Amino acid sequence: MFRILKKSLKTGVVTGRHPQAIQPSEPLTPEVRKKASAFNRSLAIREVDTGSCNACEMEMNALTNPVYDSERFGIHIAASPRHADALVVTGPVTVNMERALKDVHKQTPDPKLVIALGDCAINCGLFKGSYAVTGPVDRHIPVDVRIPGCPPRPADILKALTDIQERA
Amino acid sequence: MAKTRSCDTELKAAFPSIVQEDVVHGEFSHFLVSKDLLPTITRYLHTQPGFHGRLTLLWAVDNRPARNTYGLHYLFTLEPSHRWVLLSTELAGDDRLFPSITPHIHAAQWYEREIRDMFGLIPQGHPDLRRLVRHEHWPKGTHPLKKDFPWDHALGRQQGEHRFRRIEGEGVFEVPVGPIHAGIIEPGHFRFSVAGEPIMQLELHHFWTHRGVEKLFEQQTLATAVPLAERVSGDTTIGHSLAYCQAVESLLHLEVPRRGRYLRSLFLELERLHNHLGDVGAICNDTAYALPHAHCSRMKEQIMQLNDRLTGSRFLRGVTRVGGAGLDLTAAQLAEIVAEMDRIEQDFSELESIIAHNASLIDRLETTGVLTERTAWDHAVVGVVGRASGLDQDLRRDRPFAAYDELSVKVVNYRYGDVRARMRVRMDEIHESMRLIREIQLKIPQGPVAAESGRRAQAGDWALSAVEGWRGEILYMVMAGENGTIQRCKVRDPSFANWPAIQWAVIGNIIPDFPLINKSFNLSYAGNDL
Repeated sequence: MFRILKKSLKTGVVTGRHPQAIQPSEPLTPEVRKKASAFNRSLAIREVDTGSCNACEMEMNALTNPVYDSERFGIHIAASPRHADALVVTGPVTVNMERALKDVHKQTPDPKLVIALGDCAINCGLFKGSYAVTGPVDRHIPVDVRIPGCPPRPADILKALTDIQERA
Repeated sequence: MAKTRSCDTELKAAFPSIVQEDVVHGEFSHFLVSKDLLPTITRYLHTQPGFHGRLTLLWAVDNRPARNTYGLHYLFTLEPSHRWVLLSTELAGDDRLFPSITPHIHAAQWYEREIRDMFGLIPQGHPDLRRLVRHEHWPKGTHPLKKDFPWDHALGRQQGEHRFRRIEGEGVFEVPVGPIHAGIIEPGHFRFSVAGEPIMQLELHHFWTHRGVEKLFEQQTLATAVPLAERVSGDTTIGHSLAYCQAVESLLHLEVPRRGRYLRSLFLELERLHNHLGDVGAICNDTAYALPHAHCSRMKEQIMQLNDRLTGSRFLRGVTRVGGAGLDLTAAQLAEIVAEMDRIEQDFSELESIIAHNASLIDRLETTGVLTERTAWDHAVVGVVGRASGLDQDLRRDRPFAAYDELSVKVVNYRYGDVRARMRVRMDEIHESMRLIREIQLKIPQGPVAAESGRRAQAGDWALSAVEGWRGEILYMVMAGENGTIQRCKVRDPSFANWPAIQWAVIGNIIPDFPLINKSFNLSYAGNDL
């Protein structure tokens, strides 16, 4: 117990010790703003990987570490699409994941936001044209917010997500 | 060296009909074998005490445009000497059958099913001929790696359902999990058969993220494919790009300058560090012990930020190039890395003692998800998972690449094969990596970091390369085409070798322990599915 306390005191507060976001995020359209206003300052996210290389997943995971701590902004990860306000989709949509993506979208209650995270989700990136890829995401489900980067840095993702929460 | 020659002669004496080929790129013995002899000779290599061959890679090449044949290649690592033996055979263009070696070498099962899906060649006698990479909705007759299959072909859809192996009986029920999971992880499907809590059977249904990577390589040139290799599995950016570049360098007869080789080792160790730190935390988190997870993910973040400061990429993208390293580090930057290592090592050691003193955590990890040495060997398990099950293998020591011929790597080895052993392998490797980074800072020579080559790769020429990434051995086979194009690129992430083994590690454990066992393996879905 003493060991744990000592460690915590020695470490101190690390939240916010990260470089600032540099990637300018795309401005949100009024419709998206209106849709997002229903969530107030809380956003439950379900992450769906439709064929990414897992770098985007690692950066999404980094959001929950003590340095970025997205929970302090009311952003948390839901275990099921049925508990989610927003879907974060990564990766070009593969032939094998196409059905699963559409199912998840159907299972998420309205109103919902779809956030395409990373270049692959936005334009298929390097995997564009492959026989096994049917993407990008907006070919299958409507996309509201796009966060570019390969992969985008956690600070950029956090900035884009907190932007959604801002009132018009 | 004498030993190798004796192995070769012994093999030739036992099978007089095989023909030894000259090897241009790399160090291994290469034999041409007739197709009918394959089961006998592979069995001999696998079981004969002096050979003790582990199936390391099995790949096919469509040579029909030039020679009207399919080539099949079986790479074995002879465990005592770590020497490679490659057996090759050819199938005439209209012959689509080859004998399966799976009945006596378990490790071949996924490779042969993959070849059947990608090339339409049929392994005769394979006990399980269901589709692997192609899910059942892919139309009949689509074999993407055949040369006459266009890379941008739009696939149709047919009716079809995957048939799982079923256990029936009173009180037995199935639990389907995935492809979309509760955490932020990649897609994969797990089908459990349980009676009460204990797992009787687990079956994997993967390849959801199949993006056609190997076919996409064929659309690139030797010089431009590095970014694609970096994106095979995002967490293993350096491992994959390094393995790819080494294969291309062998094709171009390119010698990487010593400073470039040291930098490559440095980046590979940084990658190992941030992944191992994340894994140790995540294993603790899966037992609901959140404190080490918070500390570990903080340390992991420190290393990712260090990567970003040094190279402009948190994942070290763009630092490997054909011929050497893509950038140089100043003495001040090297000192910064070592200072950061000292801080994190102190930090991590304190955390280790917190973890070790938590009896309830250790109790949960011990005897959970045991992968015995025998099962690990049968499935040719590699990397962290293999070293936790008593397999003493590490390419950094056994087949040195980058600067490892001048660095002494202490290979970590545990025998118990449970979750705790896999966590301890990672913990010890964290210390070892930090020590290696310090050694690199002391030994790194001055000079250029990359070399250029005026030579061109000959069409049809091919090379193998192997890198010990943080998960285990990454293998690449690159075959050059006309004018610097890629004819064929076989990618093998360690996950592909290790996934089947998890089906044996979970038997008898309870379902709530599965996430913990899965985390202790921490295999890549993207690298497996390609």
